[in-house]
Amino acid sequence: MPDFEVVVVGAGPAGSIAALSLARLGHSVCLLERGPFPGSKNVYGGVIYGRILDELIPHWWEHAPVQRWITRRGTMLLTDHQSLCIDYRSTAWAQAPYNGATAYRPDFDKWLADEAVKAGATLVSSTTATGLVRTNRGLVGGVKTDREGDLMANVVIACDGVNSFLAKEAGLYPNFSKDHLTLGVKEVLALPRQEIEARFGIRSGTNEGADLEIVGGTQGIAGGGFVYTNLDTISIGAVLSLGGLSASKVRPEEVIAGLKAHPSLAPLVDGAELKEYSAHLIPEGGFDAMPEVVGDGLLVAGDAAGLCLAAGLWLEGVNYAIGSGKCAADAVHEAIAKGNFSKAGLVSYKDRLEATFVLRNHRKTRKAAHLLLSDRLQNRYPQIACDLLEQLYTVEDPLPKRGALTIGRALWKGSGLRIRHALRDGRDALKIYG
Amino acid sequence: MKIAACIKWVALRPDIDPLSGSVETDDRFSGVSAADQAAVEWALRMGEAWGASVTVATVGASIAESALRDALACGATTAIRIDIEHPLPSAAVGRELAAALADADLIVCGDWSLDRGSGSVPPFLAHARGAEQACGLVALSLDATGVVRAERRLDGGRRERLIVRAPAVLAVEGSTARLRRAPLGGVLSSARSSIDVRTPSTPNPAEPVRLVHARPFRPRTKIVDGPHGSVRDRSNALLGMGSTRTPPQRLVLDPEVAAEHILAALHAWGEIDDPASAEGQ
Repeated sequence: MPDFEVVVVGAGPAGSIAALSLARLGHSVCLLERGPFPGSKNVYGGVIYGRILDELIPHWWEHAPVQRWITRRGTMLLTDHQSLCIDYRSTAWAQAPYNGATAYRPDFDKWLADEAVKAGATLVSSTTATGLVRTNRGLVGGVKTDREGDLMANVVIACDGVNSFLAKEAGLYPNFSKDHLTLGVKEVLALPRQEIEARFGIRSGTNEGADLEIVGGTQGIAGGGFVYTNLDTISIGAVLSLGGLSASKVRPEEVIAGLKAHPSLAPLVDGAELKEYSAHLIPEGGFDAMPEVVGDGLLVAGDAAGLCLAAGLWLEGVNYAIGSGKCAADAVHEAIAKGNFSKAGLVSYKDRLEATFVLRNHRKTRKAAHLLLSDRLQNRYPQIACDLLEQLYTVEDPLPKRGALTIGRALWKGSGLRIRHALRDGRDALKIYG
Repeated sequence: MKIAACIKWVALRPDIDPLSGSVETDDRFSGVSAADQAAVEWALRMGEAWGASVTVATVGASIAESALRDALACGATTAIRIDIEHPLPSAAVGRELAAALADADLIVCGDWSLDRGSGSVPPFLAHARGAEQACGLVALSLDATGVVRAERRLDGGRRERLIVRAPAVLAVEGSTARLRRAPLGGVLSSARSSIDVRTPSTPNPAEPVRLVHARPFRPRTKIVDGPHGSVRDRSNALLGMGSTRTPPQRLVLDPEVAAEHILAALHAWGEIDDPASAEGQ
């Protein structure tokens, strides 16, 4: 006799939403969390896009512990001494139902888990799932924990994060590789609220916020950076390819120090007090690096399933975790109704993922990681763009002005890049973003 | 035989503003101190060794129930929470706990709480129960039923060995034991366990700190004798006017003779004893 119908491992957004949905459908659910409270182990570096929450938690924006609503989004190209920023602002994003928000994950994840508990799920914290328990028929029938005693269930939903030991143990990650991972490192810096609003050009006294994504500035390591505003702190960090970081012999905190010292970013963080440093692996391998998400008695969701969209313009994770948690819950509900917890009984999970934004967007952007982490996108094109603008904006009287095409042609020639590479990159970019 | 442990829900990582001194606490970083955890562990060991029931009690708000459930998950039999919203003085806490644990033979507490605790609750509790007390315990061993051999910390690094017999209140340091990890079954059952919530016997206790009007400190006037003599005499005395003195001399001497001169001068000024007699000694 199982202890619960479903055990959800990991009380992040995927796990909490799976537990919330199943509890609302009347199933007994245990939500297992290794940290002392949900969110205590989580790190992220960006914006939470909450549209997927609209149906699950109506008017969620009135209850969620949000720091700032993002009304300014920028993409910065950095070279050693230059920067080019595409800066977009919209006051429409400052009104309900909003577009995206910054939040502290310990607050946000705890709020989501509390919603699951209110719906009837049982939260067990400070408990790590150390392995899978198999039934006589070979199905996953529960999890072993670091406490005395196993936790038995008809179905296990593994939302145990990027380095999912449960999915690996179940053999669902045959091609797991460090090349599919990046390392996110982040500093949280404290500044007075008014100072943050002044430095980022945010309307004073509002809870509007800014999110800047950065290409370049990572000391030659493939990846990128980010800066975003919380209420009275700034988060600044970098996302670095593991292979590049290892080969560079540069420590990740030195990359953040480099970003903070860049002339375009230094005025934003000057005089701020360091409150927190954190690091976390990110599954940026995309669609082609995803594991099998369905096993006998086991589903995999969230970061554990590699569901993090890192596609340049779109850097999203929490919404995909929530979407996959909801799909997993619906699939389990159907399996319970049929009484079939085998892979065949749970396979509708993958169909549901395919039918929603979760896998459709990942499929569409499957080439993004390869494109975005290439040397051309990381270093060469930003350098040409910055040099082009620098020469256009530099007044060289009494020499006559040169046109953009003339300058661009000279820069392109000097860069050593081939037209065919640019055409190929343009074609890939069109496939992803077009 | 009934055993009880007393715990207190406190902020384990309070954030203190260095400028204003204001303290911010977060329930997520709150819990019970190592000393209180050791108290629960000793109570559980006593319960196992002597076949006794173990009650865990706290005086606090509802958030403290998570700590009580942790103790239940570890094996405590019952849990009592005396429901208060505002902190009580130690004496009142002692009285409330004594009333709630009236049937407990041995009560184990942490030696002092982390939130600027003075360690006075265990003695107040012992007083209210009319029981023996042994505080500042750094080592314990269980003897016959209801008897504990304990070692107590004294000043100057000394220790006192005690044999404590029920009824008694013990206050243990955090180093004496580490609370066991609760089994999974215990965690699940404790989530469903009911906690005995009681209202305090003094629902509106007097404020522990009484505010009164205070004036700036003004010490009483000291009576000091006035100066003696005229102003001129006192000025002369200060400046050395009119007194006889040896004017400075400039001598060029061999080192040996110069040393004798210096010694003679120091003797003449009363700084040293007679150099001749000192040489003789």
